[in-house]
Amino acid sequence: MKALRVLVLAAWALVALLPLVWLGLTSLKTRADTIRQEARFVPVLARPGAGEPEAPAFAATLEAYGKLGEVHIGAEQSFWQHLGHSLVIAFFSTVASVLLGTFAAYGFSRFRIAGAKDWLFFVLSTRFMPPLAVVVPILLVYRRLELGGTHLGLVLLYTAFNLSLAVWLMKGFIDEIPRAYEEAAEVDGYPLLAAFWRIIVPQAATGMAVTAVFCLISAWNEYGFALTLNHSGAITVPAYFAGLQGSIEGMPWPQVAAGALVFVVPIVVFTVLVRKHLLRGVTFGTIKQ
Amino acid sequence: MTAPRREMLGYAFVAPTLVFLVAFNVFPLAYNLVLGFTDAELVARGFEWRGTANYGRVFADPEFAQALRRTGLFVASAVAIELVLGFVVALALRARFRGRDVLLTALLVPMMLSPAVIGLFWNLILDGNYGVLNQALGALGLAEPQWTTDSDFKFLSILLIDVWMWTPFMLLISLAALNSIPGTLYEAAEVDRAGRWTVFRRITLPLCAPLLGLAALLRATDALKQFDLVMAVTGPNDERTQTVSTLLYQVLFRDGKLGLGSAYACLALVLVIALATVFTRYLDTLARRST
Repeated sequence: MKALRVLVLAAWALVALLPLVWLGLTSLKTRADTIRQEARFVPVLARPGAGEPEAPAFAATLEAYGKLGEVHIGAEQSFWQHLGHSLVIAFFSTVASVLLGTFAAYGFSRFRIAGAKDWLFFVLSTRFMPPLAVVVPILLVYRRLELGGTHLGLVLLYTAFNLSLAVWLMKGFIDEIPRAYEEAAEVDGYPLLAAFWRIIVPQAATGMAVTAVFCLISAWNEYGFALTLNHSGAITVPAYFAGLQGSIEGMPWPQVAAGALVFVVPIVVFTVLVRKHLLRGVTFGTIKQ
Repeated sequence: MTAPRREMLGYAFVAPTLVFLVAFNVFPLAYNLVLGFTDAELVARGFEWRGTANYGRVFADPEFAQALRRTGLFVASAVAIELVLGFVVALALRARFRGRDVLLTALLVPMMLSPAVIGLFWNLILDGNYGVLNQALGALGLAEPQWTTDSDFKFLSILLIDVWMWTPFMLLISLAALNSIPGTLYEAAEVDRAGRWTVFRRITLPLCAPLLGLAALLRATDALKQFDLVMAVTGPNDERTQTVSTLLYQVLFRDGKLGLGSAYACLALVLVIALATVFTRYLDTLARRST
């Protein structure tokens, strides 16, 4: 039984992690090395005058990372600029959705709201909307307001998109804060709003941080809206990379791998930071452990 | 504070969120419904009323029926494969051992990554000529299919990437389900000298079922939207891989037919809302059972 367990784990670990290892290796190659008939997977440091290493070795280079600053044919900006757009959009939409989500979660948790349950399920169901099915009206309105291709346009959209997650996660966290604290504050004559800022917010700080990470990740990774609303101007990284497909020169695989790695490293770091809360995050707070 | 004032304050806390969500969800739905009766186009301004002509076309369109079937097949196979794989890996990860938490965190990474970006990179791994997967298969003496271009394999390739990305999700929830089973049940089974298979069938599986159901529904609602991976592997207009979302992209943005596309979207949304209703009902039953 134990042998079987080890076998299953080893097999899945290989399947799960090898593609990521390959991503890392590819980012260290030249384009010629990425498309060889005989795969090369042992990076060696290139020594000047030593000639080309034999397969399976390849001369590791940081060239691809250097080229991330170049503007690729068919694009108007470099990878770093697109990364900047992704950062701005993900950051501001996260701040907005965590703030609004915390307010709403507090409202639902502590006050009597008519039809609260129906509203909460409405909030959750907005998460299930396929972007492509709701994007046209948004596009037409954005055209009028000149929000297409701007940071603000996607910030507003991602805030709306992430609110469902923020409200449900924060409601779970706020429900766990004992009411006695606020009641004591109320007896002491604190106005309710002060109680919210001085008691709820500090108590819910961990929850807010976890919620922020999940909002940040989904805004960072989003593609459907980014592709259709921001095909010019503030193009985020997923839409930028997809746009490289079908370029005449073929895919610049080392740069794609280097860029993808730069793009996913923050996500991996955040995943490690919130590892204890992953379950809550991916189930909208419906499973707590 | 007086009761009515307190009540008003509650609404003040929830109102901004609800207004936001109505603006970005209910308004587009209503707008779509109207657009579906017009011949609006992406580039042209102005439009004319077309009555139910768009809906007539949608229902007569074999492409839409095909995309629906394709999406259904994708959702069913992705959820089933990921659930089984995730549960099996969770069973293997159940026992505590050194380095278990590190391994678990590492195994969960794929589901946090961007499907559009990582899906694009998978094209390099799956490439028929120089892809590393085929070289590995070749070394083992196995067939080397043209994963992303052979019409019999394209759909499978997308499914494969999805399984890679989302099995961790099922693994995570399966582990939680397994951990929630009280140890006393297993002790009682041991006293009764129940066999391993009996214990699994009578204790483990039934007690995990509610959470696994939740996981399957969550994953299904997400897989129903499948867009990013199809775009990354074949683009939106491949008859072998076209899902509802990519069909919408093709009609709306490549063909520029907003009126017709909106009719498609409205029909697709009926399905989404139906599934969302099933999901929220299920959540409600689960919550009620646990309190």
